[in-house]
Amino acid sequence: MGVPAFFRWLSRKYPSIVVHCLEEKAKEYNGIKIPVDTSKPNPNEVEFDNLYLDMNGIIHPCTHPEDKPAPKNEDEMMVAIFEYIDRLFNIVRARRVLYMAIDGVAPRAKMNQQRSRRFRASKEGAELVEEKQKMREEVIQRGGYLPPDGIKERFDSNCITPGTEFMDNLAKCLRYYVSDRLTNDPGWRNVTVFLSDASVPGEGEHKIMDFIRRQRGQPNHDPNTHHCLCGADADLIMLGLATHEPNFTIIREEFKPNQPRPCALCNQMGHEIKDCQGLAREKQGEHDEFADKLPVSEQEFIFIRLAVLREYLERELTMASLPFPFDFERSVDDWVFLCFFVGNDFLPHLPSLEIREGAIDRLVGIYKDVVHKTGGYLTENGFVHLERVELIMQAVGVAEDNIFKKRKDDDESFKRRMKDKKKRMKAQQGPSFVPRGQFAPQALGGRDRPMAVQNARHSAYEMRMQGNQRNQEAAQSLRAMIKNGKSVAETSDSADTRGVKRKAEDSDSEPEPEDVVRLWEDGWKQRYYKTKFDVDATDDEFRKKVVKSYVEGLCWVLRYYYQGCASWKWYFPFHYAPFASDFKDIKGMFSDFEKGTKPFKPLEQLMSVFPAASGNFLPTTWRALMTDPESSIIDFYPDDFAIDLNGKKYAWQGVALLPFVDERRLFAALAEVYPELTSEEVRRNSLGSDVIFVGKSHPLCDFIQELYRAESHEATEIPAEFCHGIQGILNLDEDPILPDKPVESPIPTLRDIRSSCAIGIKFKDPQYDDGFVFKAVILAGAKIPSKVLKPGDFEQGNRGRWRPQLGFNPNRQQAHLDQSGFRKLNHHVGMNQGAGQFGRGQSFEGQHSGGQYSNAPPPRTYNQGNYRPPRDNYPQNQYSSWQTPASSTPYTRFQQGAQGWDQSYQQNQQRGRGGWRPAHGKPDHRGGGGGGRYNWS
Amino acid sequence: MAAGTGADIVSEFLSQNPHLVDWVESLRGYCETNKQWHARREFVLRNMEAFPTIQPGTPSPNLDRLLSLSMVWANHVFLGCRYPQPVMDKISEMAEGITVIAAPARKTRDEIMGKTKRPAVSELDYQGKKAKPNDPDVKAHAKSVLKSGPPPGAPAEHQPFFNRLYKAVAWKLVSAGGFGPNLEHYEILRSCVESCKATLSCVFVPLKDIPDLPMGRTQKEGQVCELRCCTVYVGTGYGRDECAAKAMASKEALKVFQGQKVTVKVCRRRFRGRDVDDLVLLDEQSRSQVFPPALSYPFQEDQ
Repeated sequence: MGVPAFFRWLSRKYPSIVVHCLEEKAKEYNGIKIPVDTSKPNPNEVEFDNLYLDMNGIIHPCTHPEDKPAPKNEDEMMVAIFEYIDRLFNIVRARRVLYMAIDGVAPRAKMNQQRSRRFRASKEGAELVEEKQKMREEVIQRGGYLPPDGIKERFDSNCITPGTEFMDNLAKCLRYYVSDRLTNDPGWRNVTVFLSDASVPGEGEHKIMDFIRRQRGQPNHDPNTHHCLCGADADLIMLGLATHEPNFTIIREEFKPNQPRPCALCNQMGHEIKDCQGLAREKQGEHDEFADKLPVSEQEFIFIRLAVLREYLERELTMASLPFPFDFERSVDDWVFLCFFVGNDFLPHLPSLEIREGAIDRLVGIYKDVVHKTGGYLTENGFVHLERVELIMQAVGVAEDNIFKKRKDDDESFKRRMKDKKKRMKAQQGPSFVPRGQFAPQALGGRDRPMAVQNARHSAYEMRMQGNQRNQEAAQSLRAMIKNGKSVAETSDSADTRGVKRKAEDSDSEPEPEDVVRLWEDGWKQRYYKTKFDVDATDDEFRKKVVKSYVEGLCWVLRYYYQGCASWKWYFPFHYAPFASDFKDIKGMFSDFEKGTKPFKPLEQLMSVFPAASGNFLPTTWRALMTDPESSIIDFYPDDFAIDLNGKKYAWQGVALLPFVDERRLFAALAEVYPELTSEEVRRNSLGSDVIFVGKSHPLCDFIQELYRAESHEATEIPAEFCHGIQGILNLDEDPILPDKPVESPIPTLRDIRSSCAIGIKFKDPQYDDGFVFKAVILAGAKIPSKVLKPGDFEQGNRGRWRPQLGFNPNRQQAHLDQSGFRKLNHHVGMNQGAGQFGRGQSFEGQHSGGQYSNAPPPRTYNQGNYRPPRDNYPQNQYSSWQTPASSTPYTRFQQGAQGWDQSYQQNQQRGRGGWRPAHGKPDHRGGGGGGRYNWS
Repeated sequence: MAAGTGADIVSEFLSQNPHLVDWVESLRGYCETNKQWHARREFVLRNMEAFPTIQPGTPSPNLDRLLSLSMVWANHVFLGCRYPQPVMDKISEMAEGITVIAAPARKTRDEIMGKTKRPAVSELDYQGKKAKPNDPDVKAHAKSVLKSGPPPGAPAEHQPFFNRLYKAVAWKLVSAGGFGPNLEHYEILRSCVESCKATLSCVFVPLKDIPDLPMGRTQKEGQVCELRCCTVYVGTGYGRDECAAKAMASKEALKVFQGQKVTVKVCRRRFRGRDVDDLVLLDEQSRSQVFPPALSYPFQEDQ
C-alpha cells in the first residue's frame, strides 16, 4: 500500500479507531529486573485471544534500526527481536494463540516489488559505506576523534529474504525462544504457539490470513475470537476487514515523524553524517550515568480497532433506496476493493488517484453514485464483477482530465505559497537583539494595536531560552574550532563562506525535473503512453494489453485477500498503470488463473530478487550466473538502472525501471547448477512446514507426546476440544523440542534450557477442496461489539451528555483522590502559593491515581490538525455531581474534601474561567484524559 | 531512414528464411512493444550466426545466452539499465549496425544521485573519470606528464605533510593574534615549516628577467620571490628587495591557509614560456585560478 500515506489518511478521517496502548513496564529493584507477569489481566481492559505477528515488521527495525545504533552482531539482533516480541506479548497478553509468521517465498506478483527494493537497498548501502569512509578520512585528517570502526561488517538488510542463512538461523533462534518462554513465562503457559518460518511459502501476513480463514471455515471455530494482528503495513487493515471477524484489532508502532537519528560515524545524536566533526562524546548526565540510555523516547504502540472502523464505514457506506438489498458486509468488501486502486504492493496505482488528494473519498463518492446503476455489489467473496467495475472506472475516467488540471493548480499555488512564506521569513529576520513575539517592534496605527502584553514572564523566559540555545550553539562551534585548530579570524570568515555557500545551493538545488508528460495539458494521454511505455497513441492493441493485465491484477489481488493465492505465477508485467478511462470492455478480459502453479524454491527466489551485489548469500556457482558475461540470465542483473521520478522529488520515491525475470530461462540456467548444492543448501532450499508449540500444562501436550511415543508417521488431526476449537493436521517433527529434554541455546549470551516444558510438532492448516470458496460473511453466533461512536441522533434522544469511549472498556472506572490525598498534596505544595490548583474539585475528578486501569494515554500525533479535545469526557455522574454536590453518593467524601478546603477560591476560579469547559481547549490538559490541571504521571 | 533499412533487412531476411518466422515470433516477450521487439528481433537475427549451435525451435543454453544478451541490449537501450563493462562491451559490438530511432532518454539511479546528492567532484577527479582509457588525447597527455612533471601520486604523497603544516600554521596564527597585515609573515611560515621538519625554499628573480609579464607593466625594478616547500609551490611575492619580496610571498602563502583545508594538486603553470604541470598548494575553493608564472621548476627531465 502507499504505506504511511494510507494510514495517515485513515487515522485523520476516522480518529476514533486509534487507541493508545498501555504498557506495564518491568520494574527494577537493586538493579534486578522483575519481569512483568503477563498472566495478570490486560491493563488495556480488554482480553485478546489470538496474537499474530507479521515478523518482518519486527525483524527489520530490530536488525537495522533507524533511531538507535545498530546491533553489533547477529546475536544482538536476535536478542533485540526476542525483546520486541516480549514487549508485544506484554501489551497484548494473548490467551489462546500466538502466531509468528515470517515472510516465506512470495508470489511472483510481489517479487517485482521485492526486486526493486533489494536492488535499491544494495545501492543505498554501498553509497552509505562510501560516504562514511570519505567522511571518516576527512574527520580524522582534521584531527577529530571517531570510535574505531571495528571489523564490523555492514549488515546487508537484503539477507532478510527467505533462503538465506540468516533466516535459517533466525528460525532456529525463534524455536529456542518459544521453548524458553513456554518453560519460564507464566503468561505463556496455556498459549498455543505457531511458528511459520521463512521456509513456508507465502508472505507473513497472508499466511496469517490463511490461518484465520481456514480456522473460520471449521465447525468448531469460536466466532467471537478476539484477534490482534501486529504489523505496520497499511494493507493489514484491509486484510483485517476482509476476514469479517467482529473483533479484530491491529497493533503497530506509533509513527513519529522526524525522529532524531544518531550519526552513522560517531553514533552521537544531533547531527548528520555529513556534518560530523568527530567531537569527543558529551557526558550524559553529571557522571555519564545516562550513557546507555536511549536518547529518544521509546517507540510506543497503538491499537487500531477495526470494529470502530467498521462503524465509521457503516455510516459512510449505508445507502438508502438501493435497487437491491443493502448488505453492509458486502459494501465493506467493495470499499477494500476500491482502496486497491489507490495503491497496493502488486500493482502501480492509477495516475489519477493519489491518496493525498482524497482519492478514496472520491472513489467512495463515485461508488455511491454508480452503485444504483450497477445492479449489485462490485465484489463477492473476493471475486470481481468486472462489468460493474467498468462503470466505476468510466466515472473516474470522466473526472481524470479535471483531476490532472487541479493537481497542477494545487501544485503551483503550493509553490507560490512556499515562496511567499520564504520571502516573509527572510524579511522578518532582524538582528538578534531585536525582541520578538509580542515584544516585537510594531508600526503605529495598525488595527488592534498596540495589544496589551500578556504573560510577560513567560515570553521573557522563552526569549532567554532562545538566547541560551544560541549561546550553546556558539560554544559548540567554538569547541569544534579549537579542536580542529583553526584560528578565530579564519573560522569566522570560513563560517561566512559556509553560510553563503549553503544559500547558493538552496537556490539552485531545486531544479524541478522537467515533466515531459504534462498531464494537465491536452494530449496528456498520448504523451503518457509515449514517454512511459514508448508506444504511439495509435497502438490500441498495446494499450489494451496493459489494461488487460491490470484487470487481471485487480482480480488477483482481491482473490489473494479473500481466498488466498490464486496463482503463484501471475504478475503485472509493466512498470506503469493505464488510465481509468482506458478501462473499456473489460468484462471479457479475465476468466480465471492458471491452476496448480507452484511457488519458487527459496534459493530460486533469491536468484530472482537479488542484485549481483548481494550474490554472497548464494552458493558460488549460482552467484556466478549473476556476473559472468557468458551467463544465460545476465540480463536480470543490471549494475545500475534507470529511475523515473514520475513527478516525485527523491530517487527512492521514483519507479525503478528494472527488467522482469523470465522464469523459463531462470529455471533452465539453474538446472545446470542445481547439482552443485551441498546437502545443507538443499535443506535450505526446500519448503518447510509450520510448527506448533505448547507448554506442558496445555491439554494438547499429552496428545502430542503420545504421537511421538507411538512414532505414528501418518498425519493426525487435532481434536477440536483441546485447543479452543483450533484444528489442523499434525505431523511428527524430525528434530523436535520435547518436554523434560534440554534445549541448546543458539546464542552464546543466552543460557541453555536444561529441561524444557515445551513440545513442538509440525502443523498444517485444515485442508479444503480445490473449488472451495471462503465466504466473506459474519459467522453465525458472532456478537458485534457495542458501538463506540456517538450516534447521529444522540442530540434528539435527549439522553444527557455524550461520553466518548477512550479505550476498549466502555465502563472505565475513573479514580479519584480522597481527603487524605488532598492533605498530602497540599502539605507538599504549600498552602499559600498556587494551592488553588489543587482545590479545584473538578480537576481531581478527571484524574486518576496512577492506577493502571485509569491511565488513558493522551491522543497524539494522529489527531493533529483536526483534533478536537474531548470536551465531554467526564463520567456523567461525576460531572453532574459537581453541579449538584449532594446528589451523588459515591463521591460525597471527595466533594466534602474539595469544597471544605477552599470553596470561595474555587468559585472564583470558575468565574474567572467562565466555567471550566474552556480549560479543555488547552492542549496540555489532554494529558490527564480528564482535563485536570495536575498531571500525575 | 536508418530504422527503415533495418526493418527492410529483417523482413527481407525473414522472407528468405520463412521457417524462422514463427520461431522468432515465439521469442517475443508479452510486455514488449512493437518498437522494442523489432529492434530486439533484429539483434537476435543478426547475431544468430555467432551461435552456430542454435537450432530454431529447440531450446538450448546457447539460445538462452543469445536471448539474454539481446535482453541486456534492449534493457540498456529502452529501459536505461547499465551492466558490468565486459557485458556492455560485448553487446555494443553485437549491436553494431542496428539503429534505433528515438530511444527513450532515461536517467539511471547513479546519475540522479550523483547530480543531487554528492558534492561537486573536483575537476581533476572528474577528468580522470570521464576519460576513457583508449582516448588518444588522454594518452598523449599522460605521456607528456610522465616526461616532465611531478611523479604520479605526488599530490597524495605530499598531502599528509601539508595537513600537519596546516595545523601548525593555524595554531601559530592563534598565538599571534590572528592573520593580519602586521605580522612577520615569513617568520611565521618558516617556523611552522621547520616545526614540521621541513625547509622552505626561496627563489629570487629580478622582475625584469621574468618573461610572460603583461606588457603594460611599468615597474621594472624589484625582486620576485617564489616559495616552495617540499617541491610544492606555495606562493609568489614581489618587493623592492629580496626581503620584502619574501615577506610578500609568505603573506600570500599564509592566505592559502585561511580556508577549511589545504590541498596539493597538479596544476598548469607557465614556466619559461611553456606550460608545465606543477605541484601547487591550494585552499579548497580556488577554482580556475591563474597562477603567476613559475620561477623555478623542480620536475624537469634533466633533474
